[in-house]
Amino acid sequence: MVEFFKDRVIKTPASYAKTLQEVESIKGQLMPINIAFLSSYTSEILSPYVSVELAKKGYYSDNYFAPFNQFEQEVLNQNSDLYNKNPDVVVVHNMIEDMYPDLVINFAKYNEIELDSIAQQVIERYETILESLRTRVKADIVIVNFSMINVDEVGSIHSAVKQQKNQFTQNINKKLLLLCSKTSSCYSIDYMDMVCKVGVKEWIDRKLYFMARIPFTGQGQIEFGKMLAETINSIKSQPYKCLVLDLDNTIWGGVIGEDGLSGIQISEYYPGNVFKHFQRTVLNLRNQGVLLAIASKNNLNDAMEVFQEHSDCLLKESDFAAIEINWDDKATNIQKIAKKLNIGLDSIVFFDDNPVERQWVSDKLPQVKVIDVPKDTMLYSKTLHDSNCFNFLVMTAEDKSKTKMIQLNQQRAELSENSKDIDSFLTSLSMVVSIGTSDSVTVDRIAQLTNKTNQFNLTTKRYSAAEINKFIESGNIVLYLSVEDCFGEHGISGVAIIKESVECEWIIDTFLLSCRIIGKKIESVFLNEIVNIIKSKKASKLYGQYITSRKNHLTKDFYKKHDFDLSDEENGVWEYDLQKIPRTIDFIKINRV
Amino acid sequence: MREFNKLKQVVSDILEVNIDDINENSSPDNIEKWDSLSHIKLVMAIEAEFNVKLTPEDMMDMLSVKLIKIILAEKLE
Repeated sequence: MVEFFKDRVIKTPASYAKTLQEVESIKGQLMPINIAFLSSYTSEILSPYVSVELAKKGYYSDNYFAPFNQFEQEVLNQNSDLYNKNPDVVVVHNMIEDMYPDLVINFAKYNEIELDSIAQQVIERYETILESLRTRVKADIVIVNFSMINVDEVGSIHSAVKQQKNQFTQNINKKLLLLCSKTSSCYSIDYMDMVCKVGVKEWIDRKLYFMARIPFTGQGQIEFGKMLAETINSIKSQPYKCLVLDLDNTIWGGVIGEDGLSGIQISEYYPGNVFKHFQRTVLNLRNQGVLLAIASKNNLNDAMEVFQEHSDCLLKESDFAAIEINWDDKATNIQKIAKKLNIGLDSIVFFDDNPVERQWVSDKLPQVKVIDVPKDTMLYSKTLHDSNCFNFLVMTAEDKSKTKMIQLNQQRAELSENSKDIDSFLTSLSMVVSIGTSDSVTVDRIAQLTNKTNQFNLTTKRYSAAEINKFIESGNIVLYLSVEDCFGEHGISGVAIIKESVECEWIIDTFLLSCRIIGKKIESVFLNEIVNIIKSKKASKLYGQYITSRKNHLTKDFYKKHDFDLSDEENGVWEYDLQKIPRTIDFIKINRV
Repeated sequence: MREFNKLKQVVSDILEVNIDDINENSSPDNIEKWDSLSHIKLVMAIEAEFNVKLTPEDMMDMLSVKLIKIILAEKLE
């Protein structure tokens, strides 16, 4: 959090307004962000809440509010203020009662087929909006889903009608989510869930509703502002990748070294069920692509016995991508974990019940996010959730199987120790590399890789899916690479973007490989393929670029090693003589998709 | 008096005017930012700071700081 906000209590509309005025004075420390709001109500009322909540996270937001209920005109008119503002984020939030007023008034008269067709009509309007937005701006799009709030429920005397309303809303939200997932760089906010959590009673202020068509109370506006800020921050920032856990009094109660297998608390009953619940939370994160690791001061055998023998311990050895159980200090162990998993310390979250350990890690490794774990063990899951560290907005297929892939990598490493000659080792992997061009299915993963990859990344340029689609539209080449070997699939783990800078002159703008596949000469195969593609385009020149970053030293000599000649030292530009024939690598099969 | 200072503070925060420039005669006529949207913000802020509920009629009657003061005094009695 920005230092300025540390000791402030900002809870009421007046305190937000006051703080907003003061934010101007720290503007220089904040990252500017343009946000455009399209909505069916006077969303301008949200401005101070969104701005202050974003400022806490380090952004200075410039908010543009399209005139209310003119969102379609703004989107469809190419010269509208919306486009002139060149937004980084577009938020679309409409009330169902504004989009289809009769629905709220006369809900009971509609039959199921008619309701389906209404849902379809609303979704089609969103399709039109999204299509125009997607082709005209490169902004990230945030769609807020629907919540059917009747100011008063008296109109619905039958319980069945009320339930049908909820089902209708769920149905339309399901369609909206599907539409978002099909649109690149488009994210959905679950407004309905938020209204339920806060409570419909707290959400409506009749005076605001009837006099100004504002659909929520001051408290609701604050909650919504927080959620928008949270979402925008998740879109714009690098996600944490790994959760490092302590063992004793963290994932089970008691101390295994003292209490023994039968003495520790983990069961279906209190207090053991509290820890079991936390394990479920952690497992759920694992299933969504978070890497788990252990840093614990214990005897390795004592701890392992729990994973192997304790029937109530849901977490198993195989759920962890790295395990450091020893008597070294935890900062050292976390560094070992980072190295083992090939990730930066800044992508690690540390969860430990012991405040001394937390302080130690905070002091030694300030890049690591240390969770302020409460004494009350029942709040462990909530604390982890509220930290928003793992607020992923989209889940790619690769995320689901990440731990498995990393474990396969470790098996590969073991095999490597057994193989004497590297080429014969690589041959034994029976690698097949698939290379294809970015399309609607792969573009999100491609964008994700440009944002996450640090080490084997020649230029470290970060792109959104929308930007990548733009490249393709303007005739550039965006390639992805996926690898399969005898242990399994790696999924999409390489990206190259080649741009035609001047006619017939091409430059490799982006070239990256996920670190789990480097060191296997896959990079050479990928580069050869680029050379071949460029040759087939009758190109006269091919350039590659290396831009040095804090983390990509690994690739410093990449172009040199691949027969490129340095042509512009200042900008790190290398040229490839297209007369040359690239050295082939015969132990990797290429599959052109 | 303490309540009046608090009210002036709220008006100052919401309408972005210096607290010393606010008096009983301050109204939408002489405060630039006091438009219909700010009026709603002001009502929400007063409700939260003084823990009162204002009615639509109150809202329409709040045409100056003096009138807000009178309405608020009734609520706080």
